[in-house]
Amino acid sequence: MPATPTASPRWRFPSGIRLLDLSLTGWTALVMVFLYLPIVVLVAYSFNSSRLNIVWESFTFAWYQHVWENGPLLRAAQNSLVIACVSTVISVLLGTSGAWLLHRYRFRGARSLQTLVAVPMVMPEILMGISLLILFATAGRGLGFATVIIGHVTFSFPFVLVAVQARLKGLDPAMEEAALDLGATPLQAFTLVIVPCLRPAIVAGALMAFTLSWDELIVTFFTTSAASATLPIRVFGMAKVGLNPMLNALSAIFIVATAGFVVFSNYLKKLSR
Amino acid sequence: MKSSRLLFPALLALVVSVVPAHAGAELNLFGWSEYVPQSVLDGFTKETGIKVNFETYASNEELLSKLVAGGGSYDLVQPSDYAAEVMIRQKLLAPLDPALLPNLKNLAPEFRHRAHDPAGAYTVPYMSGTVGIVVNTEKVKIPVKGYGDVFSAAFKDRIVVLNDTREIVTWALYTLHRPINTITPECLAAARPVVAEWVKLVKVFDSDSPKTALLNGDVDIGIVWSGEAAILWKENKKFQYVIPAEGAHQFIDVLAIPANAKNREAAHKFIDYILRPEVSVLISEAFPYTNPNLAARKLLSPAQLANPASYPPGSPKLETFRDIGKAAADIDRLVTDLKSAR
Amino acid sequence: MTPATDRRTPRWRARLLLAPMVAWLVLFVVAPTAILFVYSFCERDEVGRVVFSFTLENYRRVADPVYLRIFNRSIGYAGLTTLICIGVGYPVAYCIGRAREAWRQRLLLLVMVPFWTSFLIRTYAWITILKQEGLLNGLVHQFAPGAAPFELLYTPTAVVIGLVYAYLPFMILPIYGSVEKLDGALIEAAYDLGAGPLRVFSSVIIPLTLPGIAAGTLLVFVPAVGMFAITDLMGGARVPLIGNVIQNQFLQARDWPFGAALGAVFMGLFAVTYWLMLRLGAREEETAA
Repeated sequence: MPATPTASPRWRFPSGIRLLDLSLTGWTALVMVFLYLPIVVLVAYSFNSSRLNIVWESFTFAWYQHVWENGPLLRAAQNSLVIACVSTVISVLLGTSGAWLLHRYRFRGARSLQTLVAVPMVMPEILMGISLLILFATAGRGLGFATVIIGHVTFSFPFVLVAVQARLKGLDPAMEEAALDLGATPLQAFTLVIVPCLRPAIVAGALMAFTLSWDELIVTFFTTSAASATLPIRVFGMAKVGLNPMLNALSAIFIVATAGFVVFSNYLKKLSR
Repeated sequence: MKSSRLLFPALLALVVSVVPAHAGAELNLFGWSEYVPQSVLDGFTKETGIKVNFETYASNEELLSKLVAGGGSYDLVQPSDYAAEVMIRQKLLAPLDPALLPNLKNLAPEFRHRAHDPAGAYTVPYMSGTVGIVVNTEKVKIPVKGYGDVFSAAFKDRIVVLNDTREIVTWALYTLHRPINTITPECLAAARPVVAEWVKLVKVFDSDSPKTALLNGDVDIGIVWSGEAAILWKENKKFQYVIPAEGAHQFIDVLAIPANAKNREAAHKFIDYILRPEVSVLISEAFPYTNPNLAARKLLSPAQLANPASYPPGSPKLETFRDIGKAAADIDRLVTDLKSAR
Repeated sequence: MTPATDRRTPRWRARLLLAPMVAWLVLFVVAPTAILFVYSFCERDEVGRVVFSFTLENYRRVADPVYLRIFNRSIGYAGLTTLICIGVGYPVAYCIGRAREAWRQRLLLLVMVPFWTSFLIRTYAWITILKQEGLLNGLVHQFAPGAAPFELLYTPTAVVIGLVYAYLPFMILPIYGSVEKLDGALIEAAYDLGAGPLRVFSSVIIPLTLPGIAAGTLLVFVPAVGMFAITDLMGGARVPLIGNVIQNQFLQARDWPFGAALGAVFMGLFAVTYWLMLRLGAREEETAA
């Protein structure tokens, strides 16, 4: 599309769109700067020789070595990763199927069920943590990975459900009907037609579920054992003795690893083609 | 969908790799994160073959509520004095066997048999500290002796204090020359106007890292844990620690064995190991609190002993907190009310 | 078979599919909430244990105007955060949703990755930026050496910055889900019919992405009401919020029954409001149809 205005009476519209596009891209870039500003600071301080996370002293790699040598911290990071991955998978399954069924069918109590789904989002973490602990203790269930994952799924699957539901609104009902008419079972229609169409919302929901689980402290505290303790538990517990740049280093490693994963996964995709 | 085919085996591998390989005897320790140095834990395991599972919490209140709600099974816990008192009263602790703890003799007598455990039957002091005033002497030129000097109009919005309702009310009671461990409606009524004035002057309430605001230069004076003050002093000598003249809260972090502990023998072994001077000194090196272990103090360097936040000079008036029962709710109500009136 | 009737009533197979979610909610949301509800009518004894004896005292205490004031302030912060998140996040979601397909998921990931660092460390990084002798004031000083330094940290502005930062992705992601399925043909048609960009935006794009905005509002506003860790760290914990008050009952005051009563009222208020909104929404849909 030519950028120069022509004599056509419609010249305004393309240039208007273009301007809009440009300002949108600019704004997005600005927001990204906002999102990454503290991350840049955080990574910079992982090279700070001062033990205190506050005053800049001099450059060092020592904290990365400390992370490498700190078995319990690495273990906690590994636990966090396992718990976040498993609870994300369960949340996506529960949230997506729940959203579809609530959208697809109308039945008595649907509205109450919808309200009940939203309750964990508003439930203060301390209430959820203590009440789940009382529940597990009453049931004689020992604490560990399973109990932590139960807690995490409970507060994160509603996020998946709400995101998927938003996408379902206004979905063309003809899509499913066409699939059914072509002889698909309702389950096939769901997995082969609906799920691919919902994919962007499912990805968004999964990202949110993972993030919520990765950084959760209080519910985890009440439902964990020593063996399943996560990174946030370690980090907040350090308040008594002071945080140190080891945690910055660990965060930096995780960011670099994620970036690496993104690049690598694309590379894999290209190879498989 | 293709990626999920890769994802599941990867997850499975991760899960399998975190399931602990079962070894011999184990000790489940529930303590402050990092408060027991890794070198001490490793040394203990190396000597006894007992593996230490270290589960962590960030506050006494977290520890108490997890135990009260029936969570976890631990062989050793690490509460502060007043929390230990609650646990003794709720029958959550098991008595210690002194015969298994020959190194008890290393402890200074003034840290044993305190009000939270008068007979010393349940707890062994680990480390101790105080709550006092930190002054940035580059900014504050007038002498600061007590709480009254901190909460003055001259320091409006230049003050950091602990974000702890009981602490603030305690400081007010000290300035009113009232007892800090008998909380009556009458003495709360007396403390109310004092606290009301104080909360208006404070810039930051922070229990976790009050040193941050001081180091950043966002405030000039504060009432903080002595451990925080010691770190500040090590960083820059301009941060002076003062024990308030009116009196100060002393806390003693202790080790204790829960009533439902499975491995009491290992717990006793661990306590006695910690009480060795050469082990205890490792803890002092990592954390600048007051070490109640006299034999270990002899091994400290003169510089460590000179840190006024760790070993305050003179003989200040120090008191530990007692459990105040239902009055805790009244204090919380009072401070919440005053803070939200801002 | 007419699809219209099939749409309305679930058959046994659909009910079976719904069962896992219902079971999960009953076991891990209803059952624990019921325990707390029972606690809210109990008393605490001298050492802080819960004693099972029926009392309404806890609910009487909840009615104290202090807690109403605190609740209002929490709602205020959450509302402001939500509005700013919509304003800031919508264009970003739109931009990502209209980006080339290969880029979309990468951009989405880019929005979320900052939050895969530790909360405390991230917040301390903000403190480093906003403090009086911090990066922001240093920058201001570079350009305007005479200007007085901003006092940002430990003010309500800092709290709002912190809250917007923490919740922005939870607005962007659901809106993205709606934007991504926008039909380009519809927008082009609107242009062809002579609508200007603003008109297209307000009468075509916004209505079509409204479900995303609504979902984002839910995901940001609701959790933000109970949030207090950010307010404590970046606002200096000078004013209590509803989250602080509830947490303090369980930890500092060790008055579980009162904490449970506060929580019950808080969650009850939310559930009733949400249920009524759902009903209202359904009515509107019916009348529209």
